[in-house]
Amino acid sequence: MHFAYPARKSSNPPPFLPRSSRISALRRNRLKLVAVAGLSIIFLLWLFSGSKTKASPQRIITGNPPVVIVTAFEEKTVGSEFIRNAKSNRREYAKMHGYKTHLVSASDYDLNGSPLSWAKVPAMRHAMAKYPNARFFWYLDQNSLIMNPSLKVEDYVMSARKLEANMIKDLPVVPPDSIIKTFSHLKGDDVSFVLTQDKEGLSSGSFIIRNGDWAEFFLDTWFDPLYRSYNFQKAETHALEHIVQWHPTILSKLAIVPQRLINANSKSGQGDQYKEEDIVVRFPGCTTGSSLSEVQCEEEAKRFLPQWQKAFGLS
Amino acid sequence: MPLSRSPSPIPGGGWSSPGLNINSSGQSSPATASFSGPNGSNVTWESARLKSQGISGYPSFSTQNQGFFTRHMRRISRSLPTFQVSPDQYAEKDKPGRNKWNAPMLDMIRGMVARIGRKWKIRMLIAAIILFSYLLFWLTPLGYHYRRATWLGGGQKFVIILAANVGGGVMEWKGAREWAIERDSVRNKRKYVSRWGYDLEIIDMSTKKRYAHEWRESWEKVDSIRNSFRKYPKAEWVWWLDLNTFVMEPSYSLQDHIFNNLEKHIYRDINEYNPLNISHPLKGNYLDEASQNPQGDGDPGSVNLILPQDCSGFNLGSFFVRRSDWTDRLLDIWWDPVSYEQKHMEWEHKEQDALEQLYTTQPKINSFPNGACSDNGMDPRIHYNQNDRDFVVNMAGCEWGRDCWGEMYNFRELSYYLNRNPWERFKEDLIAVIWFKLTGQKVKL
Repeated sequence: MHFAYPARKSSNPPPFLPRSSRISALRRNRLKLVAVAGLSIIFLLWLFSGSKTKASPQRIITGNPPVVIVTAFEEKTVGSEFIRNAKSNRREYAKMHGYKTHLVSASDYDLNGSPLSWAKVPAMRHAMAKYPNARFFWYLDQNSLIMNPSLKVEDYVMSARKLEANMIKDLPVVPPDSIIKTFSHLKGDDVSFVLTQDKEGLSSGSFIIRNGDWAEFFLDTWFDPLYRSYNFQKAETHALEHIVQWHPTILSKLAIVPQRLINANSKSGQGDQYKEEDIVVRFPGCTTGSSLSEVQCEEEAKRFLPQWQKAFGLS
Repeated sequence: MPLSRSPSPIPGGGWSSPGLNINSSGQSSPATASFSGPNGSNVTWESARLKSQGISGYPSFSTQNQGFFTRHMRRISRSLPTFQVSPDQYAEKDKPGRNKWNAPMLDMIRGMVARIGRKWKIRMLIAAIILFSYLLFWLTPLGYHYRRATWLGGGQKFVIILAANVGGGVMEWKGAREWAIERDSVRNKRKYVSRWGYDLEIIDMSTKKRYAHEWRESWEKVDSIRNSFRKYPKAEWVWWLDLNTFVMEPSYSLQDHIFNNLEKHIYRDINEYNPLNISHPLKGNYLDEASQNPQGDGDPGSVNLILPQDCSGFNLGSFFVRRSDWTDRLLDIWWDPVSYEQKHMEWEHKEQDALEQLYTTQPKINSFPNGACSDNGMDPRIHYNQNDRDFVVNMAGCEWGRDCWGEMYNFRELSYYLNRNPWERFKEDLIAVIWFKLTGQKVKL
């Protein structure tokens, strides 16, 4: 049927309505097209999204403070004068370079009856919990003094260039003839654990650890209750020698540096002797518990007292 | 002869069949008449005849498309067979072969397509796409490669290590049952692996000369896990499985079942289920917060070891380790001569490593069959539960006084039974049951 004319329009046309929304301007099938395209894009995204496995982000260490000096004092073996001097020695040094100190008593930690010298491990762990942003932790035992405060540890010892120059490669880890030798192709940045050897073997009196997951792992391993109960002859030092030789994940982070770099001895005989300008002097083997040795330690400390006070500008 | 259109195609030559120019032929254009052949007299005669008869084909006010036939001519004519008129057949038009149905395939298809409405065309296109993708993904190995690729399905990130031939070699002869267990178990894992694009590494756990001087089983595990990480450089997780385990639900992928929602499937606080009574968060004034927190750092991304527990503690029949520095250290420290000498369980000592050690139990990943530890009864978190459709069943300890092969067989059949396809279900659950009710006879379809 055809009508000759279209129907007459109303003489009162409705007023224009404003557009309710932008989308109504689109035609219906255009909308459909958009929907189909959107769905297919989502499908493709899903198809190529792959399987997601989340890895935890690496903890960022800001390096504030750059170094924390850790010492666990065995108060019963030495006099209070000695301890006060040693503490002020470390505090002054830390103040000069913006470091922090973590000076604690060895009896603060529950060692389950193992020798007090084990306390250095939980002390280090404690310092790591306390200063999670520090870059290096330097354990310096109580029988040692910082002699040259102008040297910054993170530059003088721990910078990658210095480490690569200083570390002793292909050296039997435990002298004289361990078949396990230090790595000969180790980058300075990969080193997380720096210590020295003396005549007796590895020296755990002064060592530096780079903060990180590995450090926590290493300290936890070292502090394993099975090692503590094993009665190693020299307690934590022998446990350290054991784990270093048996576990490549630890050996691969270890660098042995010349002794005078961080661990010069006050007397020759047990290792390299202290010379002027060395950063540290240590009096090894003076804390055996007998009354004679106490005197020895304090005497040694007294011998170096004017020197370090002069170097620090205290006297 | 109801020819619908003139067979003469050339206006200037050939012939025109008489009687074809009638108006009802569908050629509604009046112009046809003016050049319908060389013998134009014919045309004039024709028109004169029509005029004299008073029948005029062209009404003076004719509108287009009037009448059913003119409107539907094209559609109807497309449905008719067309004739192939080739020049050589022209000359022998009287031969009977001339009129044979000689529609070429392409033409037919084109005709069919032309006849289909737009809506149906779109529907058929969608159906064709679905069919095509079915062919592409199921009948070709593309689906397999999709699931394997690390950036798509991620199957290459998972390696299953199956410890076969335990204690074989020097310790004992294998009987038929042992061989059957091994065959079934290996086949089960192979199927699972090929379905999801994982890698399977079957290692020979026979007592080797290397370790024979001192029995160090865990050491061997460590070695083989390390080797698999080396062999499959893309692997992220390694799943250790003992021989007497059985993947009950091969349709579960590891990604969906565990790893996409890791935080929901694991628990890091061992106190949730603690058969060994391990004091879990280590307390010590020297430890940092994450180490003292029972949940660790609470980040599922830091999970490196997923370990199930059974009623007697950690179970090493099925566990996951992830490629990471942490794992490297764990494997290194796992077997230590000093700890070994003190005859301690290596796992108990591992816990004390505090920081990221995870106590992860997954009832669904390692369910025990009843009887593995009967004193605990039916603990739904541990024992295999058919209704929960648990993923893996471990028949641990079945070599001591239980029938491994029998259990393995049962679980294999149960797995097949639970994973029947719809057609098998239809046959067995409906037809066979009806048949049984009608005749009283059990049939196997």
